[in-house]
Amino acid sequence: MENLPILAIMTLFMGAFLNSLLGRRSRKVGNTVVFIAMALALGMMLALIRPVFFEGRTICYWMGGWAPDAGWAYGIGLEVDALSLFFGLIVTIAVMVSGVYSFTYMARDDSQVNFYTLFLMLSGAVLGLVLSGDLFNVYVMVEIMTFSAVALTAFRNDYDGALEGAFKYLVVGSIGSTSLLVGTILVYANLHTLNMAQIAQLAPSHMNATMVTAFAFLFVGFATKAFLFPFQPLAADAHAVAPASISLMISGVLTKCGVYGIIRLTYDLFQNISESTVSYLVTGFGMVTMFICVTMAFNQHNFKRLLAFHSISQVGYVITAVGLGTPLGLSAGLYHAINHTLFKGLLFLVAGAVQHETGSLDLDDLGGLSKNMPRTTALFLIGAASISGLPPFNGFASKWMIYQALFEKAGSTGNFFYILACVVALLTSVLTLASFIKVTQSVFFGQRRAKYADVKECPAAMRLPMWILAIFCVVLGLFPEQFGNWFLRPAAGAALNAEAYAAQMLGGSTAAAGAAEYTLIGAWQPIVWLLLLVLVCCAMTIVAVSGRRSEPEPLAEPDVEDEQVLPENAKYEPFFSGEESHYSQVGGSDLFWGFKENLKKYFSFWHDWHSGIVNDYALYGVLCLAAVLCYCAVFL
Amino acid sequence: MAEQNQPEVISTETSAAETPARPKKKALGIIVRYGANLFLPLACTFGGYVVLHGDSSPGGGFQGGVLIASAVLLVFLGYGSQKLSTTFKTSFLHSSETVAELMYIAIGLIGVIVGLDFAWNFVIDTFHIETTILMNNAVGYHVMAGIGCLLIMMLGMLSTSESDEEEEDQQ
Repeated sequence: MENLPILAIMTLFMGAFLNSLLGRRSRKVGNTVVFIAMALALGMMLALIRPVFFEGRTICYWMGGWAPDAGWAYGIGLEVDALSLFFGLIVTIAVMVSGVYSFTYMARDDSQVNFYTLFLMLSGAVLGLVLSGDLFNVYVMVEIMTFSAVALTAFRNDYDGALEGAFKYLVVGSIGSTSLLVGTILVYANLHTLNMAQIAQLAPSHMNATMVTAFAFLFVGFATKAFLFPFQPLAADAHAVAPASISLMISGVLTKCGVYGIIRLTYDLFQNISESTVSYLVTGFGMVTMFICVTMAFNQHNFKRLLAFHSISQVGYVITAVGLGTPLGLSAGLYHAINHTLFKGLLFLVAGAVQHETGSLDLDDLGGLSKNMPRTTALFLIGAASISGLPPFNGFASKWMIYQALFEKAGSTGNFFYILACVVALLTSVLTLASFIKVTQSVFFGQRRAKYADVKECPAAMRLPMWILAIFCVVLGLFPEQFGNWFLRPAAGAALNAEAYAAQMLGGSTAAAGAAEYTLIGAWQPIVWLLLLVLVCCAMTIVAVSGRRSEPEPLAEPDVEDEQVLPENAKYEPFFSGEESHYSQVGGSDLFWGFKENLKKYFSFWHDWHSGIVNDYALYGVLCLAAVLCYCAVFL
Repeated sequence: MAEQNQPEVISTETSAAETPARPKKKALGIIVRYGANLFLPLACTFGGYVVLHGDSSPGGGFQGGVLIASAVLLVFLGYGSQKLSTTFKTSFLHSSETVAELMYIAIGLIGVIVGLDFAWNFVIDTFHIETTILMNNAVGYHVMAGIGCLLIMMLGMLSTSESDEEEEDQQ
């Protein structure tokens, strides 16, 4: 059992190389190798649930048996506590789902050998990152992860902008990696160790100007990997062109590495999350990220670009909750992290299915696909309801916990900042719902263009992974209590107990980290909400079936002459004239026209800010680093 | 420019049909070729030395592997890109690379299989073999094949772009 973490990492890497060796001749053999590698890694992670979560053990592993001597950790170690395993589970589940989906989704592409080799190397790197107990190995894994993700982003290089998106990711991602390296070097220079447990032991008592600088560098490095605020344009550009299964990996797994890094950094390594300035920094980052990204998502016309902005917005939620530094806040953040992987993965896979069948991701072009793809539509609705925070899906359960955590923190500190954060979180949730109504209307309802009349349902092999994610979405929403007791409390407890983290790895004591304690305010019954939802759906179905229905005529291709004759804003008239004088189809992107019109200045400012020029993005990254450095220098 | 202009003058004198068959870059220079001949075995031997003594002297698998891979560059410099494609088999180098990676993991896994930790350091006294040396050799093998592959790919692109340019010039 002690060997399971290293074996899981090595299985993924070995699968990558075996696939490269054997998969060149026959794709079937290659796919079998890939599947076995993913399944073995998942199985090993699942086998660790019992000892780590239920028995409270921490698995410490020294490569080559180089155990610490005289209190100094020389060797390279793996430390798997409940927090690491929590993220390890997220990673392996997402890898499994993404890989199975790729078998069908990527079937039409060439050079799939390279795809799966890079894919498994990405998976292995991410797993290595979350299980590692060594700061330099974290950096190495981040590098492998970034470079394989860049290559995979540009995998379909015939897409418009694929190489450009990958290039931006490469350049600005490298700023983040460099920042991590500089932080690691400063820590090493100051503490003479790279072992995370020993850093956790020494850092709080050795805080000086160098360590503060190191903290700023490491924080910005991990923030880049999570695509927090000034880095979110990269994610949008990368997601829009990457294959859907890679979008799942980038949004569900790579951003989680950033989140994991920030949790480890602030809770365990430097243990300064209890200082209010650090809490402001982390929560502030999360707040800004979630609000700006959701408003940017509002304006998008590309399905996956829109999802990308939402993805970062949800990561903003996670960071906001993590920054509170309370057991409830951390648990809520972890809960939302896994939920985000599930529902955002589901939505990206749906977008991939739509792209697979129609060849388009343009929200203004698609429409009425619910008639062609009813099952995909059902899956999309589950995902959309989850991300928008509708009860009883998982998004609601975790957002509810985040609001409570913000309330609790605001109540205990009486600080206006946390009240503001709570308001922003609620507002973001509303805007998320609004923009998903827009997507639903644009893609699955509304009128269908004639060219999409004979679009088929996506293959069952692609629906299976989506159903797995959808079922997880519902189950995690229905049983928040049990999930909290089994997984969230031990994971949060492991992060909060930095002393146990250090002592267990260095062999000081074997005391378990214990579970985090928190109480939830109020009571709500997910099962009752599910029944209500089912009832409402049944009622709607009865009304819809029994009522008269008139088949709308298929939307004609826009006629150029008519467009010129009509006054400028003719299609917005339904918003102003209560009675419609003439038939006018309201497109999905026009649903919230009035809202956007009133906030035109705000939207156009952020639209211009996302200039698409890599120099600008690199400048934002460096400015962000400078700002964080100044903040830390002044306040820490 | 002068070099490129000269063949054009010749091609106008001879018939236009013969020009595509004209061997490209015929005169590589005898000094370069003999230099390559001289340094090729040296580079390979020294590279092998650096790999094998990686545990006890500066260098190691990566550096030695790169030295051996420089053979690709020497063949290109001395004999041109056509000789390069006949001498080296890219697919073989590619598989070698993955085999080396698997070797590395397998050597690391010996420790786990025997019941000890990953990458446990075995020392077989009679042969003076340690896990580190074996891993080092795997790295050397990997880097040799990998860098060789990379060089062949890059040089291949170089020669195609050159021939494109020449075709454009001729047009």
